[in-house]
Amino acid sequence: MAYIAQIMPLLMKGTMMMAGLFALTLVIAIPLGLPIMFGSTCKFKVVRFLCKCYIWIFRGTPLLLQLFFFYYFPGIAFGIRFGAFPTAVFTFALNYAAYFAEIYRGGMNSIDPGQYEAAHSLGLSKHQTTYGIIIPQTLKVVLPPMSNEVITLIKDTALASVITLDELMRLTQGLVSRDVTLTPYLIAAGIYLLFTFIMTMISDRVEKHFSKYDSQGEW
Amino acid sequence: MILEMKDIIKEFPNIRALDDIDFSVDEGETVAIIGPSGSGKSTLLRCINCLTRVTSGKITLDGKTFVDAKPGGPLNKNHEAKYLPDKELLEICCETGMVFQHFNLFPHMTCLGNICYAPEKVKGRSKQEAEKRGMELLDLVGLADKRDEYPGRLSGGQKQRVAIARGLAMDPRIMLFDEPTSALDPEITGEVLNVMKKLANEKTTMVVVTHEMGFAKEVADRVIFMDHGAIVEQGSAEQIYGAPKSERLKEFLGSLIN
Repeated sequence: MAYIAQIMPLLMKGTMMMAGLFALTLVIAIPLGLPIMFGSTCKFKVVRFLCKCYIWIFRGTPLLLQLFFFYYFPGIAFGIRFGAFPTAVFTFALNYAAYFAEIYRGGMNSIDPGQYEAAHSLGLSKHQTTYGIIIPQTLKVVLPPMSNEVITLIKDTALASVITLDELMRLTQGLVSRDVTLTPYLIAAGIYLLFTFIMTMISDRVEKHFSKYDSQGEW
Repeated sequence: MILEMKDIIKEFPNIRALDDIDFSVDEGETVAIIGPSGSGKSTLLRCINCLTRVTSGKITLDGKTFVDAKPGGPLNKNHEAKYLPDKELLEICCETGMVFQHFNLFPHMTCLGNICYAPEKVKGRSKQEAEKRGMELLDLVGLADKRDEYPGRLSGGQKQRVAIARGLAMDPRIMLFDEPTSALDPEITGEVLNVMKKLANEKTTMVVVTHEMGFAKEVADRVIFMDHGAIVEQGSAEQIYGAPKSERLKEFLGSLIN
């Protein structure tokens, strides 16, 4: 117990770092996915091509590779070095935005074409149709795959340890090496589990909120 | 004359869906369009509010012409004639209300929300104004008690009645019905048809694509029979159902009875 109390402050520091990376990634990637999705379905070929390439590259290469690349590239190319935290946020946000864009696209595609027709027949503009009719319905559809990604992100933050970010995994690893005990692993596992538990609770709540307009019974 | 369509041709990649159609509707008139599936009746209806764009022809709605193209004129890549710019087009389309076979209600809005959304956003009405009118319309279709219910919790007949109220909320000059009862159980088509009869009696201008012979007989001022993208025969319901002239119509009516 004394040992746990002794290492707890350090693990808490790592947890804060992980939570910060997690939250900032979501805050940037969730909105960033939207323009990428619109771009990848837009009628201008060049824009569509660029957005599809973006998605292809970020989904097609390991996040680990992307982290190394963005950590070392600015230094080698321009002689500027960014800290581990900004680099991690930058890389995670770009990577997750690509996944989110594809989730959004799937969600938009799942909307019945009749919804667009009804909106048109009522004289709604494209903008009003997209933001008033389509996106609110898409939200409900994308919620389950989004919460899946969010939970994956919690665990992916551990990858940032490779670019020397002092997040939970790196600090835990240090303690294990130093003290030759597995206890820090167990505590870290508990912390990750606690986070996924909280996120699962939140996404269940949100899904429940959106289910209020589900059909009921036999209709 | 509230709607006038002249020389309408609509070509899809491998079929001519509308083959030189002339069609007009007078104010207060109820027109029923009948015909076998694939005869172009829904396409004709959808051309009225630009859900489908013609290849050539002239359409004038409420005195405003939004497409006037000669055969062989310039076409866009979807093989459609040149229309007015989208913004003006939307304003003209607002003069129509449409009811779909599969309702197409907005599932994330309550019944009242479905009805009030367009009047608020498109016509700029205040929330109170739109809701007041919305409640009148819900009353008209007999669903005032469902104002806060989501469409997912209504029966098909109730959904379709809300859809009619939604179409009416924009105060359209003409109401379009695209097989409004085809997706409903025979037992509950009555409640939708009764609402439509009420509208016809109030001299709402309506164009109804339908298979309901009883409805056409009872309320339509004029029945149009279409086949292969052309209007084969038209006249009063008595003429069409009682004394069909063309062989094709006789055959079609015969198949309905058997």
